Amino acid sequence: MAKVEETLKRIQSQKGVQGIIIANAEGIPIKTTLDNASTVQYAGLIHQLLMKARSTVRDIDPQNDLTFLRIRSKKNEIMIAPDKDYFLIVIQNPSE
Amino acid sequence: MSPSSQSVSTPSEAGSQESVNGGTVGRTLQWDTDPSVLQLLGDSDVGRKIHKLGASKITQVDILPKELVTYCKETQTPLAPHQSEEEEEDEEIPVPKAETETDLQDNEDNQEYTEAHPRELTEEEKQQITHSEDFLVFFDRTIRVMERALAEDSDIFFDYSGRDMEDRDGDTQAGCNLSFNRFFYDEHWSKHRVVTCLDWSPQFSELMVASYNANEDTPHEPDGVVLVWNMKFKKTTPEYIFHCQSSVMSVGFAQFHPNLVVGGTYSGQIVLWDNRSHRRTPVQRTPLSSAAHTHPVYCVNVVGTQNANNLISVSTDGKMCSWSLDMLSQPMESMELVYNKSKPVAVTGMAFPAGDVNNFVVGSEEGTVYAASRHGSKAGIGEMFEGHQGPVTGISCHNAVGPIDFSHLFTTSSFDWTVKLWTTKHNKPLYSFEDNADYVYDVMWSPVHPALFASVDGMGRLDLWNLHNDTEVPTASVTVEGSCALNRVRWATGGREVAVGDSEGRVWIYDVGEQLAAPHPEDWSRFARTLVEIRANQGDSEEEGAMEMAA
Repeated sequence: MAKVEETLKRIQSQKGVQGIIIANAEGIPIKTTLDNASTVQYAGLIHQLLMKARSTVRDIDPQNDLTFLRIRSKKNEIMIAPDKDYFLIVIQNPSE
Repeated sequence: MSPSSQSVSTPSEAGSQESVNGGTVGRTLQWDTDPSVLQLLGDSDVGRKIHKLGASKITQVDILPKELVTYCKETQTPLAPHQSEEEEEDEEIPVPKAETETDLQDNEDNQEYTEAHPRELTEEEKQQITHSEDFLVFFDRTIRVMERALAEDSDIFFDYSGRDMEDRDGDTQAGCNLSFNRFFYDEHWSKHRVVTCLDWSPQFSELMVASYNANEDTPHEPDGVVLVWNMKFKKTTPEYIFHCQSSVMSVGFAQFHPNLVVGGTYSGQIVLWDNRSHRRTPVQRTPLSSAAHTHPVYCVNVVGTQNANNLISVSTDGKMCSWSLDMLSQPMESMELVYNKSKPVAVTGMAFPAGDVNNFVVGSEEGTVYAASRHGSKAGIGEMFEGHQGPVTGISCHNAVGPIDFSHLFTTSSFDWTVKLWTTKHNKPLYSFEDNADYVYDVMWSPVHPALFASVDGMGRLDLWNLHNDTEVPTASVTVEGSCALNRVRWATGGREVAVGDSEGRVWIYDVGEQLAAPHPEDWSRFARTLVEIRANQGDSEEEGAMEMAA
């Protein structure tokens, strides 16, 4: 259990990492290193995007599934690793 | 009854002819409307009713138009952009929460409600979830992937026209024989521990395992730590972390079982870790009994073929056990390595020649090297090779497979500051390399080049010896920074990288330049000639030695 905390702390301390959010399949955040408002906002919005992305991949090929999603913007990069029951979001500033 | 002129007097418009005839009284069928109508109507009932007209009670009945209940339901093939929202609702509905009122038409209601969930189920639910098995498995897997993604810092937007290229190593050091690639170090797990053993994975050439001994500063941490490092990605944390209660003195990937890591410990136990389970402690271990080992196990090796393989382990009390990886509860066979039926040999290193599963060589604490075999009429120690003046620290059999077989050659390193080259056919060393000024801790032949081997010593020096070039000094040499002793050296399976472990818990990876590492077909015959020269020199030096002694 402490391993989870320790690992999150370690990743948070890597250069450029701004925040980490773990949410369940419905978009409810479980663990986060950001403040509550941002967490809820990110989790909700990304959950919608994730559903859309997943359905896109599945529609093109029903045997296929989404494994990783990376959104690169001017200011930062959001990396999303989805799973059946949970998903992990890491927000990073890659230029550092 | 007189016909009279009376009939003339009756006026009738319609003209009734019969009235002319007779004045029959009563039967006047005259088409006079009023009387006849009256007469006719008088016979029916309606006529009578019409007379009675009165007010009647009115009951008002309102029948509303039939209400058709309709709703729109879209089906699966989405063409409209609102489909995602509807799908979301469908997913949320099966959630069986008593408080939720699932109002199908109201999207906002649902979304508001899901956002209200964390407030209601906050601490308890979260704790429960984070402790669940499912979550831990997901977390382990995903964090690994995420770390790799984070570590890759390839800037895809890099503009070559704008600024200078960042200096990446490789270009400037292309010509070098031995160049530094990277090092592996974990703040938590490898600090203040000595690297006791290294091994490269036979399946995935980028994976490397390193074992560490105890950290005296942290007595509460486990004594033995084994870390699996990945060369392919830039992340600086280990792929897998394993530990056990006793210091791990030797470690290796199980050659025919891709998921297993075998370790030999200071207590004599052989432990097995599996990277499929998320446990960090061993999944199997041998018993601490006199049937197995009770002394530190410095060598573990998997020999054999895919279908018939054994784990061979030798401990410092001279006991050699052979195990099956499926069952570690007792050894398949065990043997005591005794020389000349006197006291057993304290083994510090063991090596099998390429392709041989029966004969092997062991180095001992007294400085003697022995050749032994596992089975057969001469099972046990065969010959003795004397030459070293100090304990033998490392032993390596010639590995490179080529047109000529050199598997009778082996090298040893020792505390007496030398590395010696031997052949199993002769019990005196062929050659002694004396360039070092400190204990030489390990030596290993290159897996691809027949005349190349690496050695490491206590001053932090890594030497590469190419016997074609020079036997007096190493062809390439580098001192690792940090002034620590190097304990182990291991070539990667491709022969292009060398991993060295030092006494501070760091594992250094060096790239070997191509002209040095890559073999040519004629290298084998060249080496055969070199050997002949070496033998000739040895013969001379023996004579000289005899002369000196005489003089």
